[in-house]
Amino acid sequence: MLTVQGLEAGYRGSRVLNGIDLEVAEGGIAALLGRNGMGKTTLMRALMGLVPVAAGRIVFQGRDIAGLRPYAISNLGIAYVPQGREIFADFTVEENLKLGLVGKPGGAGTDPASAYRHFPILAERRGQKAGTLSGGQQQQLAIARALVGRPRLLLLDEPSEGIQPSIVLQIAEILRRVAAEDGLTVLLVEQNVEIVLSLAADCAFIEKGRVVARHAAAELARDRDILHRYLAV
Amino acid sequence: MEQLFILTLDASNFILAIVLVAMGLVIIFGLMNVINMAHGELFLLGAYTVVLVERAGGHFWFGLLLAPLVVGLVGLVVEELVVRHVYHRFLDTILATWGLSIAIKQAVVIAFGPASHTVTNPIATSIEIFGTPYPVYRLFIMAVALLVIAVTFWLFFRTAFGLAARGVIANRDMAACLGINTRRLDRATFAYGAALAGLAGAVMAPIMSVDPQMGLGFLIPAFLAILVGGAGHLAGPLLGAAAIGGTDTLAANLWSPVVAQIVVFTMAIVVIRLFPRGLAGRWFGR
Ligand SMILES: Nc1ncnc2c1ncn2[C@@H]1O[C@H](COP(=O)(O)OP(=O)(O)O)[C@@H](O)[C@H]1O
Ligand SMILES: [Mg+2]
Repeated sequence: MLTVQGLEAGYRGSRVLNGIDLEVAEGGIAALLGRNGMGKTTLMRALMGLVPVAAGRIVFQGRDIAGLRPYAISNLGIAYVPQGREIFADFTVEENLKLGLVGKPGGAGTDPASAYRHFPILAERRGQKAGTLSGGQQQQLAIARALVGRPRLLLLDEPSEGIQPSIVLQIAEILRRVAAEDGLTVLLVEQNVEIVLSLAADCAFIEKGRVVARHAAAELARDRDILHRYLAV
Repeated sequence: MEQLFILTLDASNFILAIVLVAMGLVIIFGLMNVINMAHGELFLLGAYTVVLVERAGGHFWFGLLLAPLVVGLVGLVVEELVVRHVYHRFLDTILATWGLSIAIKQAVVIAFGPASHTVTNPIATSIEIFGTPYPVYRLFIMAVALLVIAVTFWLFFRTAFGLAARGVIANRDMAACLGINTRRLDRATFAYGAALAGLAGAVMAPIMSVDPQMGLGFLIPAFLAILVGGAGHLAGPLLGAAAIGGTDTLAANLWSPVVAQIVVFTMAIVVIRLFPRGLAGRWFGR
């Protein structure tokens, strides 16, 4: 579904990604792990078109999307839940969900109600300002906002960051269900190893802007030393 | 009592004219973070569109309808040729649009000469209000301004376009990641703001002398209104214009127009000191 080859990208004066090779198969949840500052968020932003691609290819469903603008990438079926969520705090929950639709071709007329099926708490809070929600609810809103546009691939950057463990498990459960029901593919960046092992089938490890290893989750669950090697500070 | 009513009418007139000019400025600034120094010249182009139509034998009303379209189109071209290349560099946008304002003004001088023109007043009658005659056309201007305010609020707070635009204002990158074409919104918004300036120029033309400097008389109060009212909310220019226009009319009537200007500037400075984000920033949170 997604093939990244030799991707180089970064910010003015500093190259962060030094030739990323990554393969995400259709269906299911793939995870990307790595210590802080290794370039996970930068990779997500480059996939979304927010960070310019200096070299390499990003092939999504057979099409090279490197160099396309974010709105075009979004409309091809890639949705993004950024680290820190970036919900529209001054907008109501419902308006946030509608913002996930207005840019889609023919999306302005679509009902955001489909999102409430998976996230009942959002239905209860639909008239409330998003900024007044708890961290866990905001994360659910950010995911729901990404899902209303019916993406094929969801990029999810550290969804458990700053959220109570019980809520994290709840969100993980919802994600697993959505991925299975809607045939959604998820690329998950996550520091919380338990979440990764419970959700993902496949894990890639990133170090200094390169993917340095790949392992099946089952293998990692058996041999925690591998995790330790790539994640310990 | 009658005196007070006429005074209120005069103040409303001035306030609504300022709002008409300031609204376009605020919309463009809100979405693109561009302070459009050429806004006064877009106003000018609106008035000269009417002059041109009348010269060609057309009627004022046709000119009034044509002006926002013509100036909106000019806005579209300006956005494409100039503004979009610099809009992420704040200072450059000021310089670029300032240069543009000079160019437009010179083009007008070359095309129409430096002298002033007059535009026929299409409703040259007065009605008696409490025994005092009041020009009907001034009431018409107020009606147009109120309509424009209503349409703009409807557009930004009740439509999908408005939701997308407010989303881009709040977080441009995130809005783009949700599939919103920010380029198209920038273009549309700049054109709309320009069209409002053009409409303002056309509708004010019959009660002003149409000359290359006419934009300035409204641009300064409009900028003051935005400073006082705040640029963070569409209600900012409304509150600011009410404060500026109300104070100006009242002081001009009590004392003199010169004193009024001093009072207005003093008031503006005090308000900006007390509420750095403007009256709307204070009242609407954010
Ligand atoms: N906006 C930015 N401008 C410049 N450098 C940045 C920016 N964002 C991140 N970086 C740098 O890029 C590197 C990778 O950051 P990031 O992709 O956020 O890592 P991760 O998500 O894996 O923690 C870090 O060294 C960070 O300091
Ligand atoms: Mg990160």
